[in-house]
Amino acid sequence: MRNVCVIAGGQSQWGVRRATLRDMFQEAGKACFEDNPAVTNKDIDGLIVGSAYTERCSFQTHLAPLVAEHLGIKPKNLCLRVELLCATGSSGIMLAYAMIKAGEADVVMVIGGEKLYTPQRWEVNYSELASVDHDWDGAMGLGLPPPVFAAVAKQHMKLYGTTEEQLAMVSVKNRRNGLNNPKGQFREEIALETAMSARPIVRPMKLFDCCPVTDGAAAIILAAEDRAKHLTDKPLVYIRGTGQASMHNMSANFSNWTTWESLKVAAQQAYAKARVTPRDIDVAQTHDCFTISEIIEYEDLGFCRKGEGGYFIQEGKSDFGGQVPVNTDGGLLSCGHPFGATGIRQGIEIMRQLRGDAARQVEGARIGLTHNLSGFIAAHTVVIYGRDLE
Amino acid sequence: MNSVLQGRYAVTMDMWPLQSADFNRIHPFYDHLRQGRLTTTKCRDCGRQAFPPRVICPGCLSENLEWVDLPVTGRVLVATEEEVGVPVGFESPLIHALIDLGGQIILFARVKGCSTGELKEGDEVRLVVFPVDPLPVDGRKGETILQERVFFAFEKV
Ligand SMILES: [Zn+2]
Repeated sequence: MRNVCVIAGGQSQWGVRRATLRDMFQEAGKACFEDNPAVTNKDIDGLIVGSAYTERCSFQTHLAPLVAEHLGIKPKNLCLRVELLCATGSSGIMLAYAMIKAGEADVVMVIGGEKLYTPQRWEVNYSELASVDHDWDGAMGLGLPPPVFAAVAKQHMKLYGTTEEQLAMVSVKNRRNGLNNPKGQFREEIALETAMSARPIVRPMKLFDCCPVTDGAAAIILAAEDRAKHLTDKPLVYIRGTGQASMHNMSANFSNWTTWESLKVAAQQAYAKARVTPRDIDVAQTHDCFTISEIIEYEDLGFCRKGEGGYFIQEGKSDFGGQVPVNTDGGLLSCGHPFGATGIRQGIEIMRQLRGDAARQVEGARIGLTHNLSGFIAAHTVVIYGRDLE
Repeated sequence: MNSVLQGRYAVTMDMWPLQSADFNRIHPFYDHLRQGRLTTTKCRDCGRQAFPPRVICPGCLSENLEWVDLPVTGRVLVATEEEVGVPVGFESPLIHALIDLGGQIILFARVKGCSTGELKEGDEVRLVVFPVDPLPVDGRKGETILQERVFFAFEKV
């Protein structure tokens, strides 16, 4: 089996975009190639495109050849699309990794994007009814569901004493870190009082506890180690291990709302394959779709003990200078969340942190982790990156 | 208004399930709802009861399933009130609750007919069945047939 490296990455501007899905794929592809001029569209032999809502919001299937044509890529080993809603981007990275590792492709671009804002705003929330089990949870009015995370937060607060202030601290940290990503949706710091007094969406989730709806795209290039050595003069960043797990889909089958068992399984798989422990992680990008998510992720990724996630943020352990800086580019709460692109944005930030050229650098970072949850907290995806192979 | 579709109905934008025997093998669930019953499938071979209802048993993959009744009243474990971003077609605030149905199953379901702050932990709720948009279907002679549909939620007792 071959070793696999990440050699380039870039993203389009994210936000409420006056652009089509294909416009943003072109912007992201260009930004990715510009990150590493040594690799060109002629070098790409595999293309994986990620998008969850391409049919829903752009009435477009068969997306990969369309994106290849627009980027001047003529893939000869693979050309396909992946979808796992919020974890679509990381799923594409996992697939590219496996294909390169197995020798089925050499240099693969993974590009993901979403156009979610349709001309009439009612359609944005309405489209999300396709995100959960449509026939059962969707028909209950649950889209990309703030009510679900509010119910999670209420139970976590009751069980472990987590406070609304600790939730707000996550958004304050991630909004501050968002200054590190010039292409993110929000680049304004907020004060704790602002977060605490914001209008409720679903109590206790208030405005700044929830990530926004976002248009955007991002692209990353993976290559076999022998090709990577010739295609970049920057430090090599390896993919060390991946894990992806699902133990339920519909709400009725969600057995534990405050300990995410499939996250623990995915993380254990990724740690074992990478031969690292949670203590070895120098920097992490986790799925902060809601502030409560990041707090539970500290716990179930093993950064702290169960129930201590609130104290982990309160004591600054997930901030720069802490035990493991989390969401160093602002996360979903600042950058926004175009589903197909989020895992790729996370991978790009980890690549930069491990290369040592991040906008705000975690000094000496050598091992990084990305995590996504998707749907009704129904699947979890973990990817571990490293500067070293051992 | 849409000149190309000329008022035709695109079921791909439909938030309700397809329910009739023409389109869905678990159509008895919706027939039972009309009778005020909340039901699901249970495996006659291994005894596993699943929700939502299936055409195969997720335990042993048997197709030998029977319909069984679930309790139609339950107790609220956690309640939430969505005040912003409620999807079109739903009231605001949109109330959901984690509901324990007699210790058999826990559903996260919509609770209708409550005002803000009214639904509390420990409250008793019961099944409510209501009509939803009928489904336009092509008839054999080119006519449009409207198939009636229902869905369910809960209401405070
Ligand atoms: Zn069975």
